[in-house]
Amino acid sequence: MPGDNKRLQMLIFFIIWTVVGVLLGIALKAQFRLHTAELPSTRLPELARAYVQEKRAVQMMETEIRQLRQKTTELENALATGTKQAKVLNDSLQTAKMLAGLVEVEGPGIELVLRDSTRRPTPGSTESLLIDLYIIHDYDLLRVVNELRQAGAEAIAINGQRLVANSAIRCVGPVIYVNDIKMASPFVIHAIGDPNTLLGALKTPGGVLSDIMEADPKMVEMRALERVRIPAYTGSTQFRFARPVPSEEVAP
Amino acid sequence: MIAIGMLGLLLGLLLAYLLLDIPIPAEWASYLSLAALAGLDTAFGGWRAALEGRFHPDVFVSGFIVNALLASLLAYLGDRMGVDLFLAAVVTLGGRMFLNLSIIRRYYLNQLSLRKSRG
Repeated sequence: MPGDNKRLQMLIFFIIWTVVGVLLGIALKAQFRLHTAELPSTRLPELARAYVQEKRAVQMMETEIRQLRQKTTELENALATGTKQAKVLNDSLQTAKMLAGLVEVEGPGIELVLRDSTRRPTPGSTESLLIDLYIIHDYDLLRVVNELRQAGAEAIAINGQRLVANSAIRCVGPVIYVNDIKMASPFVIHAIGDPNTLLGALKTPGGVLSDIMEADPKMVEMRALERVRIPAYTGSTQFRFARPVPSEEVAP
Repeated sequence: MIAIGMLGLLLGLLLAYLLLDIPIPAEWASYLSLAALAGLDTAFGGWRAALEGRFHPDVFVSGFIVNALLASLLAYLGDRMGVDLFLAAVVTLGGRMFLNLSIIRRYYLNQLSLRKSRG
């Protein structure tokens, strides 16, 4: 039956073109959605390259911020050489900037390294139920920072990120964000203050690190340093909501 | 033949745009594009075969599926190996599409001149 055969051919031809149309439509739609997301390409190697480039750009901008802030300090100092009032004003400004973490500082202090344990409890043992004990968490860092501040630390940085008044330490999946910067174990914490007081606070029996030390002493490493250098904060210093209250309205 | 093909293509596009809302993960989008390209190539090949009177549905359907899979597989392998292997599929399929289209064009031009000479 050649007529039937012909009709079957046409049907198959039609179906295939329809399938091609559906495929094309979905592909076009997916591509369109990607382009509206402003990605340079959908290919993995190019995406990786773009990612690395962006990351490098951010790093360069952070260096620039650091340099510009240092330059501001120098200019302020230069301005202050004129009159006595200017000098007094500048002195209080520099103290405020140190408190805010906008100046690179150095002094005696400590270095504390916290890292995830390399020990893995055998599966099925009671230890494996407590796997959390072998990992450094955001709350470990938070408690350590709190303890250091209470022991009189004047400047603290985690993996080179200066902690300031509005710094946050937060766990996001397998990494921890400090000042919105991603980081993972090992965490190197630098603090400036009296080394003995700081180390004493960290070593207190039953203190912030005792649980970790009990799980695996190798997770904690600390030492006093004669000179610790802590970088300036490179994040935003803009206030979007808070405004200072005019002096005549301040309650006496 | 042209009418049927274009009708199917339009219907498919409409279906994809209006009815099917399948969220495609970003890393799959490029494979899907290649599959669509392979499908387009097969469809043109089928058209040419039909004009030449040697259209076999089994060859047509299997070619469609295998080509689409192979193109996607090449792209995947290329991504893993860091070589842009998908270009091989793009060049081959693209070249063949032009070839098939030129043959299809010649066939219709021939018919046109035949009809003219007959008056």
